[in-house]
Amino acid sequence: MRFEFDADESKVSISGEFTFTDHATFKVIAARLLDGQDKAIVIDLAKLEFIDSAGLGMLLIVRDEADKARRSLVLRSPCGQVKRMFDVTKFDTLFTVEA
Amino acid sequence: MFRLGRKPRETSVRLVVASTSPPSIHSEVEAPPPPHEALLQRWISLADMQQRVIQALVSEIAHTSGFVETEADALSGRFQRLAVSAEQQTARVDSLTHLATGIEVEGKIVPIDRIAGLLESTLGDVVEKILHLSKDSMSMVYALDELKANVQRVEKCMEQLDGVNNTTNMLALNARIEAERAGAAGSAFRVVANEVRELSKVTQALAATMKSELKGVTDGISHGHATLQRVATIDLSGNILAKDRLEVLMVALVSRNANLETIVADAVKEAGLISADVDGMVTGIQFQDRTRQRLEHVVDTLHLLDRALEEIKSSTTTTLPELAGAAPDIEWVKKLLERFTMSEMRARFVVHLLDGELPDDLSDDMSGNNAPSSGGSTELF
Repeated sequence: MRFEFDADESKVSISGEFTFTDHATFKVIAARLLDGQDKAIVIDLAKLEFIDSAGLGMLLIVRDEADKARRSLVLRSPCGQVKRMFDVTKFDTLFTVEA
Repeated sequence: MFRLGRKPRETSVRLVVASTSPPSIHSEVEAPPPPHEALLQRWISLADMQQRVIQALVSEIAHTSGFVETEADALSGRFQRLAVSAEQQTARVDSLTHLATGIEVEGKIVPIDRIAGLLESTLGDVVEKILHLSKDSMSMVYALDELKANVQRVEKCMEQLDGVNNTTNMLALNARIEAERAGAAGSAFRVVANEVRELSKVTQALAATMKSELKGVTDGISHGHATLQRVATIDLSGNILAKDRLEVLMVALVSRNANLETIVADAVKEAGLISADVDGMVTGIQFQDRTRQRLEHVVDTLHLLDRALEEIKSSTTTTLPELAGAAPDIEWVKKLLERFTMSEMRARFVVHLLDGELPDDLSDDMSGNNAPSSGGSTELF
């Protein structure tokens, strides 16, 4: 998995495949996002090609952490297999998912 | 069956028809009779021919009626069997309605759409649990990562503690050396140096014990981390997407079932219509009895006409014997026969009208199997 932050550190774009092996990297990403100051945290998934169940679990952990910090988490532009996984798991009922 | 008593003909008609002369019923008469006699002869001839026609018609009616009655009985029997079959078929199609409605589970019919709903609900629960499991697994992985980092920091502290202990031990040794140099004045200092050295040994032993215990903790964390990693790396995304595939299958199943229900409903309706139609046909065929009664009246009337003609013909020839043996009006017969489109019927009429013979059995002719007779006067027509 690769990632790229916006200048304000509240938005990150991730690409490639998001699986268990990325848990250490994603911890760093989550920490940087939660350190930001904006109310909304945005994870752009437009270039993410694959996500497994561990990846979904990590997104849920970030959501809980954002809730604790009274911040919102937006998942943006899922597509392909990622969107299918979101649809089947009804992720839109757990997150704010933007097309 | 209707049959007139066949009367033997006194004479059969002898035709002498020359191809060069025009047809005439008076070919054998040498001198023309007076006009009124000729007229009466024509009447007698016509009456005779009408009798033959009546007898032929009665014969045709009788055989036709018999044929129709036999066929109607057979048809009625077949339609009755068809009615029973149609009714059974309707019942079978009706039983399909239950199959199309749903699946029998423990004696109860469960609708297909409800099964789909239950399956979707169950799969939804499974997916939700997979998500929770994934999230909790990753939380534990992160917690163990954190614990591992803590242990590593403690190990660094232990290393620093070893350094401090070594320094303390060195200081105690140096203090002992300096106390020996000082002689009697350093005796108290010597005691303190020994105590510090003993303390350092105890600290060193304690540090060794802590290192050993810490190694146990580290190994335990590493083992737990490795185990958890194996659990967390099991990709359940395939299981999640199985829900998607099963939902598609269920939608297809529900759709197919809906189509089946429609088809079965149509089939039940059609089967009912067929049963009603067949019943109606059976009833309709049973009206053949009325047809038979009508034909009996017709035959009876024809009998009366025949007897009346016979009577008037008989009384006329008794009064005027010279009129007996009048030749038939062949032209009239020809015109009559020309109206027949069925060749076998025409053939029978020729045989009967001109030769005075009535076929015994017309049943084969009714089915169209018999070729027309080729004998006697038939050839002339």
